[in-house]
Amino acid sequence: MAYNEEGSIGTSLHGVTAREQVFSFSVDASSQILQSDDPTAKFTLPVDSEHRAKVFNPLSFAKPHMRAFHLGWISFFTCFISTFAAAPLVPIIRDNLDLTKTDVGNAGVASVSGAIFSRLAMGAVCDLLGARYGTAFSLMLTAPTVFSMSFVTGPVGYLAVRFMIGFCLATFVSCQYWTSVMFNGKIIGLVNGCAGGWGDMGGGVTQLLMPMAFHVIKLAGATPFMAWRIAFFIPGFLQVVVGILVLTLGQDLPDGNLSTLQKSGQVSKDKFSKVFWFAVKNYRTWILFVLYGFSMGIELTINNVISGYFFDRFNLKLQTAGIVAASFGMANFFARPLGGYASDLAARVFGMRGRLWILWIFQTVGALFCIWLGRASSLPIAILAMMLFSIGTQAACGALFGVAPFVSRRSLGLISGLTGAGGNFGSGLTQLIFFSTPRFSTADGLSLMGAMAVLCTVPVAFIHFPQWGSMFLRPSRDGERSKEEYYYGSEWTEDEKRQGLHEGSIKFAENSRSERSRKVALADFPTPETGTPTHV
Amino acid sequence: MAIHKIFFASLLICLLFQISHGATKERLFSDLEKGALEVTATPSREGVLDAGIDKLSITWKLSSTATKEAEFTTIKVKLCYAPVSQVDRPWRKTENELFKDKSCPHKIITRPYDKSPQSFEYTLERDIPTGTYFVRAYAVDAKGHEVAFGQSTDEAKSTKLFSVQAISGRHKSLDIASVCFSVFSVLALLVFFVNEKRKAKIEQSK
Repeated sequence: MAYNEEGSIGTSLHGVTAREQVFSFSVDASSQILQSDDPTAKFTLPVDSEHRAKVFNPLSFAKPHMRAFHLGWISFFTCFISTFAAAPLVPIIRDNLDLTKTDVGNAGVASVSGAIFSRLAMGAVCDLLGARYGTAFSLMLTAPTVFSMSFVTGPVGYLAVRFMIGFCLATFVSCQYWTSVMFNGKIIGLVNGCAGGWGDMGGGVTQLLMPMAFHVIKLAGATPFMAWRIAFFIPGFLQVVVGILVLTLGQDLPDGNLSTLQKSGQVSKDKFSKVFWFAVKNYRTWILFVLYGFSMGIELTINNVISGYFFDRFNLKLQTAGIVAASFGMANFFARPLGGYASDLAARVFGMRGRLWILWIFQTVGALFCIWLGRASSLPIAILAMMLFSIGTQAACGALFGVAPFVSRRSLGLISGLTGAGGNFGSGLTQLIFFSTPRFSTADGLSLMGAMAVLCTVPVAFIHFPQWGSMFLRPSRDGERSKEEYYYGSEWTEDEKRQGLHEGSIKFAENSRSERSRKVALADFPTPETGTPTHV
Repeated sequence: MAIHKIFFASLLICLLFQISHGATKERLFSDLEKGALEVTATPSREGVLDAGIDKLSITWKLSSTATKEAEFTTIKVKLCYAPVSQVDRPWRKTENELFKDKSCPHKIITRPYDKSPQSFEYTLERDIPTGTYFVRAYAVDAKGHEVAFGQSTDEAKSTKLFSVQAISGRHKSLDIASVCFSVFSVLALLVFFVNEKRKAKIEQSK
């Protein structure tokens, strides 16, 4: 009998009989096709009833879970390299294209704005076409825009190309979506944190990679004004290669690719309008939108401005400024997974309430250090403030995606998309207000941005789940509303429930009982009330 | 965590280098002797000059009003931005503290000081940005500190300026490579997509 090893409370014997639906969207029970008697046997890692892995082993490349993880974060990493490839080379580009400070600032805003729309679209694409194609579309359709830096001759072209390159940041959504369907809710904070964090590192790596590539190309004989254009071929080429790897090595869902599963009747297609409506109607989506705008948003802004800030204010050389700027992005390697892990740990004891508090703490502390960074007038203090700021903010990003998968089951992709779009929106907004005008010096801009972030983190106190409570309020005492099944079931109409379309959500609801605090979970023994046969 | 330690260590080392360079921080531009050298810069042709192609004919000689001539060891001739090219570009700002001043970043030539009038035929480098310029010559003493200067324009930096048009940095081979790679990327994606849809249809019909 394939019991959950941890003996988690509330796990019914779903998955044991092999007659339950085990895919992300369910169909009528009568049309399913029977596989082997124990479908969990073919996976390398232990899985739950939805065939999502319960264990995270970053050193493995096994199909399909760990492979999806690695392909996901590498795709995202490559896109970060491309999007911020221009930032460390701005001192050369601004001379070649005769840019003013306003031009540079506007291009920075443009570089993160495109992704607002593409991240929204990506949520829908993943729900409808699968994570693999979402990722591959993003990588391979934006590669031409990276190559087109060769053609740019002035500020308008520069802005247009940076805007178009920025579309590829939609891979964030496809990456998080992919890991969310491949990994169980108990470890999702850590997994999403690692995938997101290691991907975000691309923003740091690019600050080292591009100046180095530029230098080598110059040594090979090119003039500076041509060398930076050639350097852009590197991220472009990487995108194409990784895109091909994703298509050939990846798999949409634990049990196969989406189109195959859909055609063989094992997975039904959901309606986009419904998916969209339930994402937009849920107020928690919008609070996460704002929150992410002031954690990831300010992180993206910093990727664009920090190298120039250290170059200009402390008179560092281009390479030195690049090293400092890279440290900010590289902290993601451990900071974002730390946030996800802390979120998972807090959930073990305090449930969802713990996750929300961790999110608030990390984000506020990070923002306070951002204020300090702007005030620092000596280099060592500035670097210290920057590092502490990076850890706080990046951990907050990780912690937020420990909460996001629980906001909706039906509209998971679109919520990831909306939240991700919020990150870019926040970045565009902060760059526009604080870093594209002569009104504030960059230092003042940093402090004001930190202050705004502290204020915009307060809304996390208003996220309330009837079954789990919120930062300050207890869960609902109503017998029906306090069940996870009620919350996730409410995304389906009665009609759809009668057709059994909601079974995936019910399964998810059962697995999500882990989000109850330890006290509540021990006191309460849930009875399955979904109508699926229990094995007694 | 080891990576974190290495970063901090490398940052500290960089810091030490920066601090050790800071010994001469306080020297100001306003302390230098103005007009100690008479400098002229004559473009090779009328109109906007092309970087990498056109030349400047630069001459400098000791001015009759110079007083610190005994200290002159080297003459550094530089290309400087005119005020119109500094607008909304804080990275080209004129600062009084010499080490912070960024208005004269392009070196033309450095020569040991010679009493007789000097000249130099300068071909505009290919990394000179588009802008309006003048030429300034600094007289440097034996310790490497600037003591005097002369420039080809007046004190308000408004006369005898010349304009330069930078190279575009583009090249046909780059353009072609760019198009080829882009087409490959889109085609590869389409081929995969169509192929998989076909395979799925075949699966369904079985």
